[in-house]
Amino acid sequence: MSTVSETTIPIAELRRSQLRFRGLEAGHRACQGCGQALAARLVTEAAGPDVMIANATGCLEIFTTPWPQSAWRLPWMHSLFENTGALASGMEAALKAQGKSTKVLAFGGDGGTFDIGFQALSGMLERGHNVLYVCYDNEAYMNTGIQRSSSTPHAAVTTTSPSGKARMGKRHLKKDIISIIAAHHIPYAATASAAYPSDIRKKVRRALAIEGPTFLLIHSPCPLGWGHDGSQTVEVARLAVQCGLFPLIELERGELTSVMPLRSARPVKDYLKPQQRFRHLFQDDTRAAQELEHLQALADHNIEVYGLRGTNADPLDSDGADTVRRGGMRWA
Amino acid sequence: MTIYTRGGFALPGTSVEFKTGSWRLQRPLHWHRDAPCHTACPAGEDAQAYLARFAEGRLQEAWETIAGANPLPAITGRVCDHPCESGCNRGMYDDPIAIHNVERFLGDMALSEGWAYPVTAPARGAVRVAVVGAGPGGLSAAYHLFRRGYRVTLLDALPEAGGTLRTALPAYRLPRDILEREIERLLAIGITFLPQHMLGRDVSLEELRADHEAVFLAPGRQQSREWSVQGSVPRDLHTGIEVLQDWISMGSVPQVSSAAIVGGGNTAVDLARILRRAGAEAHVITHNALPGPDAQPDDMMAALPREVAQAMEEGVVFHEHRGIRRLILRGEKVVGVEMVRMKKLRRPDGTLDRVGFEGTETVLHVDQVIPAIGQDVAPDGMEGPLGRKPFFETDAWGRVAGHDGIFAGGDARFHSRGTVSGAVGDGRRAAEAIDRLLRGLALPEEGTAEAIAFEKINLHYYEHAPRAREPVLPVEQRTGCQEIERGLNSEQVAAEAARCFSCGTCFACDNCWTLCPDEAVLKTKELASDGSHYVFDYDYCKGCGLCVHECPCGFIAMEDEI
Ligand SMILES: Cc1cc2nc3c(=O)[nH]c(=O)nc-3n(C[C@H](O)[C@H](O)[C@H](O)COP(=O)(O)OP(=O)(O)OC[C@H]3O[C@@H](n4cnc5c(N)ncnc54)[C@H](O)[C@@H]3O)c2cc1C
Ligand SMILES: Cc1ncc(C[n+]2csc(CCOP(=O)(O)OP(=O)(O)O)c2C)c(N)n1
Ligand code: SF4
Ligand code: SF4
Ligand code: SF4
Ligand SMILES: [Mg+2]
Repeated sequence: MSTVSETTIPIAELRRSQLRFRGLEAGHRACQGCGQALAARLVTEAAGPDVMIANATGCLEIFTTPWPQSAWRLPWMHSLFENTGALASGMEAALKAQGKSTKVLAFGGDGGTFDIGFQALSGMLERGHNVLYVCYDNEAYMNTGIQRSSSTPHAAVTTTSPSGKARMGKRHLKKDIISIIAAHHIPYAATASAAYPSDIRKKVRRALAIEGPTFLLIHSPCPLGWGHDGSQTVEVARLAVQCGLFPLIELERGELTSVMPLRSARPVKDYLKPQQRFRHLFQDDTRAAQELEHLQALADHNIEVYGLRGTNADPLDSDGADTVRRGGMRWA
Repeated sequence: MTIYTRGGFALPGTSVEFKTGSWRLQRPLHWHRDAPCHTACPAGEDAQAYLARFAEGRLQEAWETIAGANPLPAITGRVCDHPCESGCNRGMYDDPIAIHNVERFLGDMALSEGWAYPVTAPARGAVRVAVVGAGPGGLSAAYHLFRRGYRVTLLDALPEAGGTLRTALPAYRLPRDILEREIERLLAIGITFLPQHMLGRDVSLEELRADHEAVFLAPGRQQSREWSVQGSVPRDLHTGIEVLQDWISMGSVPQVSSAAIVGGGNTAVDLARILRRAGAEAHVITHNALPGPDAQPDDMMAALPREVAQAMEEGVVFHEHRGIRRLILRGEKVVGVEMVRMKKLRRPDGTLDRVGFEGTETVLHVDQVIPAIGQDVAPDGMEGPLGRKPFFETDAWGRVAGHDGIFAGGDARFHSRGTVSGAVGDGRRAAEAIDRLLRGLALPEEGTAEAIAFEKINLHYYEHAPRAREPVLPVEQRTGCQEIERGLNSEQVAAEAARCFSCGTCFACDNCWTLCPDEAVLKTKELASDGSHYVFDYDYCKGCGLCVHECPCGFIAMEDEI
């Protein structure tokens, strides 16, 4: 192999003078190929420097702040697992009292959002705090060793939803959190994916331009918990969108206002296959076959209720939205 | 101590103190690989490179990139069979890039803008090298030798340079003014051109060798092969190449109402097309198959597929897998031919044998039979290096064994491609070999670089886009010398350049910079030494391989570190 990667540019200096703002720096302890580390950096990149963060307990909090170091280049505060909504509400109220325009971001995992921090979040939304809450959805309690959450998809294996004689992984369904959030009648709630960076940036900017509570759910693969190679993180996230299991949608005041259309819906098998947490569905077993059909039906259901099927090739559909151009020009 | 404002760079005591690079077992590397369009080009042009320059709006640099390998892009952009496009990875996605149209556009632009070749004049006392034959092979060798600092003497038996391009390529495919202008300014760089100088008549090889350190022979194939059908030859026999050459130089066409042309190469097809223009019925009889998806590569007619297709549009009738068994004569005049179905069959020893099938004879009424079955090297003055063969036996560098300092290439060598780009490539390689010989350097290893495979391209990042359709002259207007293929306009050509995947070469898409979860890819304003704008910060890269998978063009590879 001919190697051509030497550089004469002092690397530390180069890191200081990068052309775009990063709120999250290198040296964090996330696993190789962590989707959450990627998504969090993309969010801060779009949010810019004039923000403060309230971060729930979970992987993101742990891997960015091993004492005494921090990977954040933004004011950042750690909350308990269960009270991020409340902490963010307080930060926002304090900034307001000081007459500052700094925007507050609240970050939580799916466990911290769908389950344990849910009531604090609901209160924050109900009181109308000017906060963007971002949930990094890796579909289980990853930091404590892959326990099921209410976000874990149906049939996925976690340490607390094993596959065996009685069950094929998790028995219950993934909680429809976005509908519950939207039912708070907030101005803006959306879903995004680590595989579509331009779409994340657009949604963060849109949310931050709104006065009032906004919410973003970002599908963030976890190579360790999902059992795929770290190099496949973006590929897996992309397949989740393209098969319909993770629809990318926007809701304003509870109404569906836009979706990322699927140019052609991929079979869910393409998404499930690379992941060990679904491995048991590919054994020769009628229950496994039925669960595969079940997951396909859930995807088809999403495609139908959200109207995901595109009519013709759209530059912002699931095949067009990640198109790259010479010189790095993306659409957002 | 520097105090950084909020959003400024993190101070010591932050995570950048912790070098996660130590977790890594493999590391990503930028790894340039040749694109298939590049490896497929017989002239050695790197289409990926000039499409990139074009897409960046650096048109003159794009042309210079071509001219670094091929000094005749306005010509090859028109007449080449463009294997670059057959090899193009994008062909497996939607349609290959219209590379030849970009080449043609740049070639024409260089002519109209007067762009200078990237050359400097050789020193006064520089070593002399002679080139025999001013066809594309000889012109290419002369140009590349000149670029390498040699004084070049180029001789040709004919009054003007251009070789077969001038004598046999019809103007409807290669307009005369393009040919004239391209050749004129190539000779004008400072090549000493001696027209009407025939080796073997005006000068001998020994005489040439006496005042030149090396000689490159590119005489093409000018001597028609003998032709008869079971010993009988029509009284008024003209070979196809002669008829074609007369039409091109004098505009004369034999007065026939119908002709059978024997052969399946470019000469047969171009001849048939000019006979159609003169109002005659034209039949092409070939042992081989018409080009098409079902044809075996070693059984296909030698003529370029698009020429065959256009000839059919113009009403030329093709008889594939046929041979002539007998001439039907009235007195000594041909009134028809008896054809028989034939096929090449593979014998147990691996050789191909042509077999005619009894019972498949048919009669074609024609008043002339014109053989266009190919030519051999006219041996004048080159008997030594030819060694009684009808062509030169050379190695890949054009060296003729046992004849130090004598090189040969183009149509005249055995196993030549028989195309303009093939001849240009031969000239370039021979120039390099001559240069190395004269400087006492060893020849480089034969290139084994494999082109980057289609599977390495991450198609998610490219949008489907149809290939631009080149306008062609309608059949009813194809009567004279007007060029049939009209070329693409600047917007279309720019769109083609933008469609290119940039196989194996970074196109600064920012994907790695955007997607690395560890902020281990840094972007540079200046070009890094690998020609990209990105460097890996191995202090932090954990070796996840995500950037390898998400690099659209396969420019990143993983390497074991232990
Ligand atoms: C009708 C026709 C159509 C073609 N169409 C195409 C096409 O569309 N695309 C394509 O790629 N190729 C085409 N070809 C093939 C192409 O023209 C040749 O492959 C190419 O010209 C070969 O270049 P060359 O330099 O080896 O020889 P040539 O072009 O034949 O040039 C040889 C030169 O050497 C000179 N010479 C020969 N002997 C001597 C001597 N003893 N002393 C001095 N000078 C001498 C000759 O006068 C001639 O000028 C076509 C060929 C024909 C006949
Ligand atoms: C009240 C409370 N219960 C349990 C824990 C232990 N705990 C820390 S992180 C975590 C899991 C976090 O899961 P999630 O919110 O999905 O984030 P992830 O780590 O998956 O990113 C748990 C259970 C805790 N810190 N506080
Ligand atoms: S896509 Fe571009 S670089 Fe790749 S083979 Fe085709 S022309 Fe060459
Ligand atoms: S994505 Fe980043 S961490 Fe992963 S291999 Fe590439 S440079 Fe290293
Ligand atoms: S991902 Fe894009 S920017 Fe990075 S090396 Fe590949 S082509 Fe270049
Ligand atoms: Mg989680």
